[in-house]
Amino acid sequence: MTVIGRSWNRLTLPGKIVFTVVPLLLLLTVAAIALILLFGQLVVDILVANLPIVRFVVAATAVLLMTIPTAFLVGYMELKGIALMNLRIGPDRVGPFGSLISVVHGLKMLMKEDFTPTGADGLVFTWAPVVVYLASVMTLLVIPFGPGLYGADFNIGLLYFFAVGGLSVVGLLMAGWSSYNKYSLLGGLRAAAQVVSYEIPLTLSVVGLLLLAGTMSLNTLVEHQAGWFTDWYIFQQPLGALIFFIAATAEANRTPFDLTEADSEIVAGYATEYSGMRFGFFYFAEFVNVFIISALMVVLFLGGWNAPFPWPWPIELSLDPASFNIGLLLIIGLAPVVLTLLFGAPFYLLRSSIKWWHALIAGFVLANLFIITLLGIWAYIGLDWVAGLIWFLLKTYVFVFILVWMRGTLPRVRVDQLMDFAWKWLLPASLVNLFVTAGAIVVVKELGR
Amino acid sequence: MSLVPGLGLVKGMALTLRRIFEPKVTVRYPEVRLDVPHKFRGRLQLLYDEWGTLKCETCFQCAQACPIECIDMGGIDTRGRYHVHWGAPETYGERREESAMRRSGRPVPDPAYRPFEPIAMGEVDRILEEYDHDPARMLHILEATQDAYGYLPVAALKRISHATGAWYAMIYGTASYYAHLRFEPATASEQAAAVADHRPAEGEYLSALGAALEGGGRPGAPARA
Repeated sequence: MTVIGRSWNRLTLPGKIVFTVVPLLLLLTVAAIALILLFGQLVVDILVANLPIVRFVVAATAVLLMTIPTAFLVGYMELKGIALMNLRIGPDRVGPFGSLISVVHGLKMLMKEDFTPTGADGLVFTWAPVVVYLASVMTLLVIPFGPGLYGADFNIGLLYFFAVGGLSVVGLLMAGWSSYNKYSLLGGLRAAAQVVSYEIPLTLSVVGLLLLAGTMSLNTLVEHQAGWFTDWYIFQQPLGALIFFIAATAEANRTPFDLTEADSEIVAGYATEYSGMRFGFFYFAEFVNVFIISALMVVLFLGGWNAPFPWPWPIELSLDPASFNIGLLLIIGLAPVVLTLLFGAPFYLLRSSIKWWHALIAGFVLANLFIITLLGIWAYIGLDWVAGLIWFLLKTYVFVFILVWMRGTLPRVRVDQLMDFAWKWLLPASLVNLFVTAGAIVVVKELGR
Repeated sequence: MSLVPGLGLVKGMALTLRRIFEPKVTVRYPEVRLDVPHKFRGRLQLLYDEWGTLKCETCFQCAQACPIECIDMGGIDTRGRYHVHWGAPETYGERREESAMRRSGRPVPDPAYRPFEPIAMGEVDRILEEYDHDPARMLHILEATQDAYGYLPVAALKRISHATGAWYAMIYGTASYYAHLRFEPATASEQAAAVADHRPAEGEYLSALGAALEGGGRPGAPARA
């Protein structure tokens, strides 16, 4: 056997996958670049002709990549926010204010042993985290992040969301079942029971909204809420919004309904036997879920990417970069240098004790901030989708913060209270909401006639 | 249950929100070090040497230095003879197991402990009565006791401690400081030196006896083959 063969045999399964997929991807990239260089026009024509497919591939890639910073940010917010609420400092070692702790966590996960217990069903055990993770990520495809900034605009977007989001139950059950551990199985069953129970009020709570809007496309739903913030559906469906928020919290296994993986009480529920990156995917999916339920809450009830009020004085930016001709190059080349000197000069002149290169660094940072702010303002005014994205992310992260805040505050409910609440309170309340909404629509129609 | 349902929820959320802006209690230890009060002694612990023997020499320095007199200790003195004790008078006669039991309800065996021999208490009681149980006249009490018994028996020291209220370790310290006070019956050689002036014949006899017995003729001294 050759050296290569021996090395190949020593690799674990993920290693084998990585060592085949990465070179393959590199090869494909090189081939694609070569193709574009050789037959540029032809390739562009083919891509344009198959725009839906291209769009889907790009959207799927973007959504997959997007989960990484999202999960990092949500994880950091969780650690730091709860720490601050507990009068602790929280992460403060890696990066400014500890903001890179999620990166370090991720590296730690990658370096841990990827362990499979004896007797576990290897295939199912490996695929369970993938199913949980993908069920989360695939729901991101239909969420409109901004005007025109969505993976796919289905006319059944909301239905797709609930259908695919519900798949995570399968992953949880797979994880519990394949671990060859009765506690994992119990944890999986508990998680499944909880998620399935809360799925019903969650889905019913938005039916009233659907009656009002007459569409299931999330993009159209957001467009319906354009204008002043009083047009947001939360003012027409307050009960629906409340039920949706509570049920979504339970759906994402967040406090006060996080007893499937109550970290202070039980080991880890269905994820007991998981370690390394396979556990990391569960972890990841949880953070992405937090983002997703916040995003859906914003999309359905809080106007999505709409600003809370229309800008009263429309600004027209008639700035055409092409009009500068060769001057544009000069500006791009000179502006950073000039601005750095300009912002650094006051430091150097006013404080005689400061070293010149300290002043230069300060000037550089300030100049960058200035340029970024300018560019941001220009993008916000000039580009619709940037403004939409900013508003959407702002609202979403407010909700992420509320979820973190709840986790720092609320105690955990008992399992019987959990079920009682879903079946005795949320379900009737969502039905009442549905009937009242339907009645109100009929009455308004009759009056209007 | 409050009047308005969900009010407690709101209160709790408001509390945690306020907490975010309050000063934090965490100390970034290696960079920031708190000022430690100068009387702070850290965690007191008895150490063992590499042979597994307790390093404590029963010097009572820890008990003496303890700023709030919370250390209550007993042990064997350095020559392995007497059970000495530092602490409140009502705990003097207590064996270590009893003391530990009293304090923690958990027995702690003390294999090194040897009970002291009993004596007739009449003499020491009379001496104490004579000196009015006054701890300030401790030297006189001890000298009188030694005159009565020939040496200072541990039982007598404990009785003196009980009666005067002086701590046993203080009395032990006083008694071990003065050369003419002793804790064992005098050896034959020592007796010989004491009587040599006025009873030369007895002195000669006693010194010969001491030499014959070796080890100074102390009762209970190991006899050499």
